[in-house]
Amino acid sequence: MNAFVVAAIAMLVALVPCGILLLRGTIMDAVVAYEAISAIAVMVLILLAEGFRRPGEFELPVLLAVLMFGSGLVFVRMLERWL
Amino acid sequence: MIRGVAVGVILAVAVALVLASAVGLLAMRDTYQRIHYLTPLALVAPLLLGLAVLVQSGSSVSSSLTWLALLFVVITGPILSHGTIRAIRIRETGDWRLDKADDTDKAGPPKDLP
Repeated sequence: MNAFVVAAIAMLVALVPCGILLLRGTIMDAVVAYEAISAIAVMVLILLAEGFRRPGEFELPVLLAVLMFGSGLVFVRMLERWL
Repeated sequence: MIRGVAVGVILAVAVALVLASAVGLLAMRDTYQRIHYLTPLALVAPLLLGLAVLVQSGSSVSSSLTWLALLFVVITGPILSHGTIRAIRIRETGDWRLDKADDTDKAGPPKDLP
């Protein structure tokens, strides 16, 4: 277990406060928590790919980063008026 | 040896930043305050992480893809934060502009309602 895997596990702990906020906050708090969770997930995937030395798995965080932006904009746009 | 220590220190700072931001997200009172804690999480920590991968792997496919993903997060994070604040403002006042929101408040409900 190298430093990257340890850092990935430590970063996963940060999902707990975000999850609590997601479940217990208002709907806009949940959107903020979702954005935080998405950013953390991108970083965790990068850390795991580097930690296990699998270059092929670096494509997952790239895809997630792109999808995170699109889905975040959709959520925000819908929550402006319609939800 | 020195490279390993440098990577460890950079990763420790990034993890501490992410954990502190996550706790800050939960501790703040309203959504406007919570959004401030997205900035270190989605802007500073990814740069530190990219730096750690660059120090570990040097110029390689891994570090290139890492920087591609992290730059996307860094560039789009402030745009999402701005969009979120705009959405909250529209939900609360009906319009994101200050003067329009005030007019809406003064005018009361729309005239065409039954």
